[in-house]
Amino acid sequence: MVDTSRLEVGDRAICMTSNDKSDAEIVCLVDDDLSVLKSIQRLLASDGLSVRGFNKPKEFLSHVQAHSVPVVILDIWMEEMSGLELQARLSELSPDTRVIVITGRDDPGAKLTALQKGVTAFFTKPFDDDQFLKAVRSALAMHPTE
Amino acid sequence: MSEANKVAKGQREAEEPFYAGQTRILEMIASDAPLPEILTNLVLLMEAQEEGMLCSILVLAVDGIRVRHGAAPSLPEAYVKAVNGAPIGPRNGSCGTAMYLKRPVVVTDVLADPLWADYRHLAEICGLRACWSTPIFSPQGDVLGSFAMYRQEPRGPNAAETHLTQIATHIAGIAIERQRVQETLRERDARINLAAESADLAFWVIYPEQNTAWMSDKGRAIYGFDSKLALNRDLICSRVHPDERAAVHAAFDRACASHGLFESEHRLVLPYGKTRWVIVRGRCLEDEHGNLLELIGVTIDVSAQKQADLQLQLQREEMSHLNRVALMGEMTASVAHELNQPLTAIANNASAARRFLERGNIDPVLLQQLLQDMVADSQRAGEVIRGIRALVQKDKTVVRSVLNLNAVIADTLRLVSSDIVLRESVVITEMDRSLPQVEAVLVQIQQVLLNLIMNALDAVEARPPAERRIIISTRSLNGESAEVSVRDFGTGLPKDRPDKVFDHFFSTKQTGMGMGLTIVRSIVETHGGKIGAENAPDRGARFFFHLPAARGDSKSQAA
Repeated sequence: MVDTSRLEVGDRAICMTSNDKSDAEIVCLVDDDLSVLKSIQRLLASDGLSVRGFNKPKEFLSHVQAHSVPVVILDIWMEEMSGLELQARLSELSPDTRVIVITGRDDPGAKLTALQKGVTAFFTKPFDDDQFLKAVRSALAMHPTE
Repeated sequence: MSEANKVAKGQREAEEPFYAGQTRILEMIASDAPLPEILTNLVLLMEAQEEGMLCSILVLAVDGIRVRHGAAPSLPEAYVKAVNGAPIGPRNGSCGTAMYLKRPVVVTDVLADPLWADYRHLAEICGLRACWSTPIFSPQGDVLGSFAMYRQEPRGPNAAETHLTQIATHIAGIAIERQRVQETLRERDARINLAAESADLAFWVIYPEQNTAWMSDKGRAIYGFDSKLALNRDLICSRVHPDERAAVHAAFDRACASHGLFESEHRLVLPYGKTRWVIVRGRCLEDEHGNLLELIGVTIDVSAQKQADLQLQLQREEMSHLNRVALMGEMTASVAHELNQPLTAIANNASAARRFLERGNIDPVLLQQLLQDMVADSQRAGEVIRGIRALVQKDKTVVRSVLNLNAVIADTLRLVSSDIVLRESVVITEMDRSLPQVEAVLVQIQQVLLNLIMNALDAVEARPPAERRIIISTRSLNGESAEVSVRDFGTGLPKDRPDKVFDHFFSTKQTGMGMGLTIVRSIVETHGGKIGAENAPDRGARFFFHLPAARGDSKSQAA
């Protein structure tokens, strides 16, 4: 059961999890647009998923070094670091993490690159909520449990 | 009546026709009769005074060298023809010599006198024997011509003849001088008219006391007045466009009150509604006591230039608008992204709310936050659309406001942030916090910045991602103006003349129209600023422009 009252928004990580969840059950989300970040967190939470949001790619990178991350949802076009760049770093740090890419721009080139690099799913904003949630759940299920 | 009185009375009676004749000739002069007619009458009057006397008048040409036939009604035509056009000189007959020496020349016998060597044969044929010539002077002492008396017997003049000569030269002097002055005036008039016509100038005079006015034909044509219509100040002012009439009246009154100058540029509305643009200049003339006599002036029709100016202005606005639309086309990534973000957030929030409600465990506080965010995101999408519309719509209201260029740069970068990310480029800003504020049209300055930024992005496109850097910096120039510099690390500008990039149709791009930088320069210059381009020392190009500090903001001011 998600504790919705603990929805926090700040410069650091934005968490929307209950303490009793283990890292293996928590979906991470990286988007530098705060309002998009919050809305996706809520969408995931409304479907009973635990989610931890980051609006700075670098903070996610430090998180992944200390925690196991089964699934991460990455925005491609971020000012600090692109989602594809982040994905490349992630594949070194945590090769087992499943990656779902979301983008604000219909860009076949970026989609191809992302899929070639082993991205699980690719969504163009705004996306269909059912398909999106289905993709997140199947990515979670694919993750080998520790 | 004594015998002496009788003689005197007889003399007066004899002299009366002579006086009447003189009066008649003076009247002819006063009424501007033709000069040959006046001089002929004068000669005939003189000849009537002495039995057997012939007279002639020669007029010295304006060149002061040649003589022209004036009047010689009783001399043979052959003689008159021979003399006409002859030069004056020290040995040129009686007349030519008299005019040359500026004193009377008395030749008692033309057959013996060396002065007549050239004309002796002619004189003999004509039966002329004595010739006494006296120069005719202007009041300034210039020789105007000569008056000569001829006799058929060799002798000098008697007292009566000398007296007649004095009268004749005096009257002839008045006639010739008056004719010369009038000729000069006519010439000057013709010259002024020629100059005025070539310059399309119209003359006018307003007499405020009499409430009358005069206007040249050109003026009547400009103001649309019939050539016979009696004019006055109010009638002339009635042609001024109603919106400008009060100002023109005020300027006119000021000029009259100060006896000074009148200057105005305004529109005229002619009958049937035709409008003209005119420039009017006038000055007050005073009499010797300092009283206002009249206001004289000129009017020039500048409608054609105005029309051309307006046309140019329209074309410039049209180009500027096209440029903004084209910029918007180049910014599609950013525009799409900027709209997509809030729309995505709204869609996700709505989906989340629906799911929470379906599950029946919605926290009212969360629902409220969610709805609030949806409202905020809708507004954000609206802002984006408003921003696009402001940039794309035509300049209807071009209002200048006080702007902080640092803030304008930050806002503009936000507009293109996605394109910068998409092109894997980095924009570094170095803002001067003490930058003075400027007075400018926001959309136009954004247009300048967008052009420079998009150009810089294009310039670095071919470089490896790590080198796709653009530096935007600002600095205060002594607090008097604000400088913005956009520097890229691309291939740079033409080496020979970096500022060639501002020329029309200069483009290094496949798709460019070559108008962007021309428009950029025109915007900067319209704001009283300057723009330049140069190659940076190591590599790439640097564009910079400065705008004057807003009034009252010449000192440094933090953002």
